[in-house]
This record gives sequence, structure tokens and C-alpha cells, in this order.
Amino acid sequence: MNAETTVTAATADLAGKYLTFALADEEYGLPVLRVREIIKMMDITEVPQVPSHIKGVLNLRGKVIPVIDLRLKFGFAQGEVTARTCIIVVEVALAASRVMMGIIVDHVSEVLNIVADEIEQTPQFGDRVCTDYMKGVAKVKGTVKILLDLDRVLGTDDAALRAA
Amino acid sequence: MTDNELAFLRDDPEMADLFLAEALDHLGTIEAALLALDERPGDVTLLNDIFRPFHTIKGNAGALGVTSVQEVAHRVENLLDLARSGRRTMGPADVDVVLRAVDVLTSMIRDVGARLAGQPGTDLAPVAYALIASVDLLISGEADEPAEKQAAAPEPVHADDAKAPVNETVRPEAASESAGAARRGEEMASIKVDTRKLDSLVDAVGELIIVQSLIQEDPLLATHVDQRLAGNLGQLKRITAGLQRSAMALRMVPIRQAFQKVSRIVRDLSRKADKSVELVLTGEDTELDRKVVEEITDPLMHMVRNSIDHAIESAAVRQAAGKRPQARLALSAYHQGGHIVIEIADDGKGLDTEKIKARALERGLIAPGASPSVEEINALIFEPGFSTAEKVTEISGRGVGMDVVRRNIDALRGRIEITTEPGRGTTFFIRLPLTLAVLDGLIVGVGRERFVMPTTGVRESLRPLPSQVHKVQGAPRLVQVRDSLLPLVALGELFGLPHESDPCKATVVVVEDTGSRVGLVVDALLGKQEVVIKSLGETFASVRGLAGGAILGDGRIGLILDAHGIVELERGVNRAAA
Repeated sequence: MNAETTVTAATADLAGKYLTFALADEEYGLPVLRVREIIKMMDITEVPQVPSHIKGVLNLRGKVIPVIDLRLKFGFAQGEVTARTCIIVVEVALAASRVMMGIIVDHVSEVLNIVADEIEQTPQFGDRVCTDYMKGVAKVKGTVKILLDLDRVLGTDDAALRAA
Repeated sequence: MTDNELAFLRDDPEMADLFLAEALDHLGTIEAALLALDERPGDVTLLNDIFRPFHTIKGNAGALGVTSVQEVAHRVENLLDLARSGRRTMGPADVDVVLRAVDVLTSMIRDVGARLAGQPGTDLAPVAYALIASVDLLISGEADEPAEKQAAAPEPVHADDAKAPVNETVRPEAASESAGAARRGEEMASIKVDTRKLDSLVDAVGELIIVQSLIQEDPLLATHVDQRLAGNLGQLKRITAGLQRSAMALRMVPIRQAFQKVSRIVRDLSRKADKSVELVLTGEDTELDRKVVEEITDPLMHMVRNSIDHAIESAAVRQAAGKRPQARLALSAYHQGGHIVIEIADDGKGLDTEKIKARALERGLIAPGASPSVEEINALIFEPGFSTAEKVTEISGRGVGMDVVRRNIDALRGRIEITTEPGRGTTFFIRLPLTLAVLDGLIVGVGRERFVMPTTGVRESLRPLPSQVHKVQGAPRLVQVRDSLLPLVALGELFGLPHESDPCKATVVVVEDTGSRVGLVVDALLGKQEVVIKSLGETFASVRGLAGGAILGDGRIGLILDAHGIVELERGVNRAAA
């Protein structure tokens, strides 16, 4: 009884508007309030000595922002840049500040209003799947959207970055 | 200080900020005037310059209920009033006490700030009482007729009572009104602006410059020859450049503030060390980026402290050497080729090169068989843990200091040099960039990437002849530049980029960092450009050899190289171990 109420509270917290996008043949969602803008693929300056999923930096109207390739971050094969490939500029809370970052995705799908009923807590996969970056999953119109925890996906507490 | 006193300020944080900032400002003014008064006792203008801000602080503190600050200011004002009305001359003892009052009030104001910010405060009541007692002692000791009866007797100090004595609070004065009015009049010439607003303006102007050059260099425009368009674009360029200069100038402040702190320390230390020192300041109006002035103050004070303690001899020794008994310490600031130079010159005994060499050998800073040049030996005083002082004094000699000085100056992208003549004195030259926001860079290309090398670190560039390049373990690792053999670092290899591997077909840029030089191999030199420095942010905090990013003329980002990081990378020095 008690456990059930907390579950509802947690999923209710997650309800809201999400920008959904595709990586390979999977659908992901991130809170629309964190999205600053969506831009087409741009010229990215590579930065040495960083893991391969950090593509480098780009010039967003005079601001230098880091760009992450989510495909590489999640262990997919490098995607081909198509006309639909784009960079979602999001706001992320790092250890000491809030910064803008770009994430490269295959294509942006739509903005969905996801209600609490459609959201489930991240299932337990055991060791096979890393669920640290997931806030939950949403079933919308027969498809599953993985809701991302942006601060964890893009934060610098990421061990991979430190190790590099 | 009691919480009662802060009640009013807590209710009105904006008023509190204003009060604190103003009070600190006034205390700065007072200190400057006091140091001048020390040289020209009896100067009425200076006395007024000291009296007025004290009075304002007292008035404001009173109005806002900070009675302990009000009390201290009031007592000092009594003393100053005597001098102002000609009934007393401000001797060195008086100046000392008032300077101490400035320190005490500064700590009290800072304490108020700390308490308002929710930090635990310090109990400054004993210090304040001690100060009030010495002020009163001065007044009662010499004034023919104490201006105010109650001021004659020092207040009894109750250790258990943290409250300031309020038995004889300041009379509400009409004069405080007029002083306030006078102050407002002065402030017409300048206004206080939140530095974040300034920074965002500077950022916006930086973006404007970038867009302007994007338009200017647009390939589409190159194909259109139109006089009117070209004229308008030229006009746009001039105006944006002017705007950039003005925006940068907003962040500039005179170096006076840093010099003033130095004057204070010279005054205090020369007494403590019992050495008479004449301080000569020139170029106090030279303007520098606010941040540079803030960051340079500590190193300057450190160096002056060192000069007085180590370089300047006692009067007896000086006389024996046929020098003026009073030592001379000259601090000057001036522009030179897009940089600011700060010179610290003393006429002390000069650096003892032999002693430095001996100490360096002892500490293993130079190899036993090496024969370094005099400049190289003198530069060793900037090494960590180096000190030739025979005894550790209160002022200096613990071997912390000069290395910190150099690190601070490096962080400001500046350089420090020494010239010294035994028996005649030592001069330090600190060369600093005008601002931290832009830098002069050499644009170099490696593969399809471009990098910006700050010109401060670049000594020369060359295309070596095959005879100058020497291989080590199969790869070109050394280059002979005149008499020196420098290690070669291929930037492309360091950063894992496709690059020209034969140095004789590429270009070697000789980069210097704190005395060590390396030859950086790049594919090509692409030009020189002034760039706006952008931080790469936390994501790239672990990347070494880079100092940031800059947006180049075509809108792409060029990474700014960090000479220090590259030299370290080359040496294989692990940051974690350092």
C-alpha cells in the first residue's frame, strides 16, 4: 500500500511535456522545459583528450557550447549525418553551474504531453542494461519512450570523462 | 556586534549591500588620504578628506542601527575634529591610530557582511574597545581641552557584554545631511554598476564583433563589388570596434587601488623592520582590467614585502656602503606595446647570484655540472620552496612567496623578469595584458583544425633545415635553434590529429613557458588575430594544453593553446602528481 503510493507520486512528478527524439530505432524523451532550441547539424570543432561521445564544441551565436553524440554515449554505432540529424540544445546542471549543451540525435519527433498514467518506473533489468540515465518509461500510442535524466546523462560526474 | 544592530539591515538587503559597499569605499578613501597626510601633516584638504567619509560612515551606521560601527567612527571623528579645528597636529602616532581604526572598521564591516550572509561572526568588541581606548588616550593626553568630557575616560570593558557602549550615542547631526549632500555631488561623475551587467554587455559586444566579421568575410560579398555596401560595411566595422573598446574600457580601473595597498604595507613594514623607506609611485592612473588589478595586488604586496625584508639593508649598512640611509622603493605602471608594465625597483643590495646558485645546488634545482646563465640563476628565486633568507623573520623568509607570485602572474597571462645589479638594487618587471577578455593570438593549422597560440608565449617561428632536426628513437624529437637544442612537440601527435610529420615541411613555433622552451610542430601559420576568449566550461576541465576557445573570423571555433599545459604535457608531468 505504502509502496504503491510512492510509485504514483514519483510517476506523477514525471508527468508533463516531453520532446521526443529517435536514436537508432528507439524513442527517447526529455522534458521540454529544458530544451533551449533545436538546430541543424553544424560544424563542430573537435577537442582532444576526451571520450569519443564528446564531439567537441560549436559556436552557438557567439557562445561556445559542448556537443555530445548520444548514439556514442549509449553505445550505438556512429550514425550517419542525414538531413534529419539535428542538435538539441539543452540546459544542464553541472557540479558548479548550469550550462547549455548540444546533443546530437537522429531526428526529433514531436512534443508529447505525457500523463502520469502512461509513465512507469524504470524496470529492473539486472546487469544487462544501465538504467542510471533513465527516469522512467512512458507508453504512448503503443510505443515506448525512454525518459532521460538529463543531468545524469550529460553531467561531469560521468566516470568515463574523468577517466579520460 | 549584536543581532539587534543587524535587524534593520536584515530587513532591507539592498540597503545593507549599499551600506557595506559604500563604507568599504569610504574606508579606502580614508586610507589613501591618511597615507598622504603622513607626508604632509597639517594639510587641511586631506584632513577634510579623512573627516568627511568618517562622518558619513558614522551617520549611515547610526541611521541603520549599527551602533558599534557608529561608536568607533564617532570616537575617531572626535580626534580628527581636533586636528581640523587646528587644536592638534596629526603626528605619526595619530595617523597610526586612525589607520588602525580603518582596519578595525573594515573588519567590522566585513563582519556585518558575513553575519548578514548567515556566517558565524567574529567578536570584534575587544578590538573596538582597545582602539577606542587608544583614541581617547591620545585625545586626553595632548588636547588642551577635551572636546567632549565623556571621551576623556576610556570605556570600561565588559568581557561578558558584547554590546557596544551606547551611553553616549552620537547626537543626530544636521552636519551629516550636508556631508551626505556633498557626497552625492561627487558621485554624479560615476555610478556603481553590477559587474555581471558589465560582463554581459562585454559578452554581447563580443558576439556583435563576431557577427560583424562573419558578414564582412561572407564569400557572397566577396563576389559583389559595390562601393556603397563596402562603405557601409567599413563604417559598421569601425563602429563595432569603437563599441568594443568602450565596452572593454568599462571594465578598466586605475591601478591606484593596488598601489595604495602597497603604500600601506611599506609604511607598516619599514617600521617593523626598522628601515627607513621612501616609496615613489608613478602611473597610478594607468588603467587595467578590474580583475587584473584585483589579482595583481597580492603578488605586488608579496614582492614589496620581500624587497623590504631581503633587499633593503638597514640604515647603518647602507651608510657603510656609501648609500643614502633612506632606501628608495619605486613602483611604477605604464603602457608598453599593448601591455601594461609594472616595475618594482629597490636600491637595496641586489640579488646575490652566488648565494642563489649555492642554494639551488643544495636544493637540487640545478644539476651539479650545469653552468646556467646569470638570468637563469636569478629566475630560480621563482621556484617553489626557494628562499635564501638566513633566518625566518616575521615578514618573510619561509620560501613561500615568489613561486606564488609567478603562478599568479602566469594565471594573468603575464610575465615577470628581473634585472639586478649587486649593491645597486633590483628591478622586477611585470608585463600584463590590458584585459583578460581578449588575447593576441597566432592562428596555427593542424590537419583541418585551427588553434590559437597566445603570442605572449611565442618566441619565434621557423621552418627548420634537415640539418637542424635530430631524431631520437626513430622520430624527429629535437631541433637546433641557434645554440640551443629544443624538444620538438608535434601538436597533431599530442592531440591525435592527422598532421605533417616531417618538421622540415611543417613550421616550428618556439613556445616558452616559465623558462623552458619547446618547438611546437604545426602544419602552417595562418595569421595573427585578436580573439575573444571563451571558456570551454566544466565538460572539458580535465583537458590539458588548452586555455579555452575563440570564435574565428569564419564562425568556427579555434581552440586556444595553453603554453604551460603543453610544456607540461611534453614533460609527461602528471597533474595529479604535481
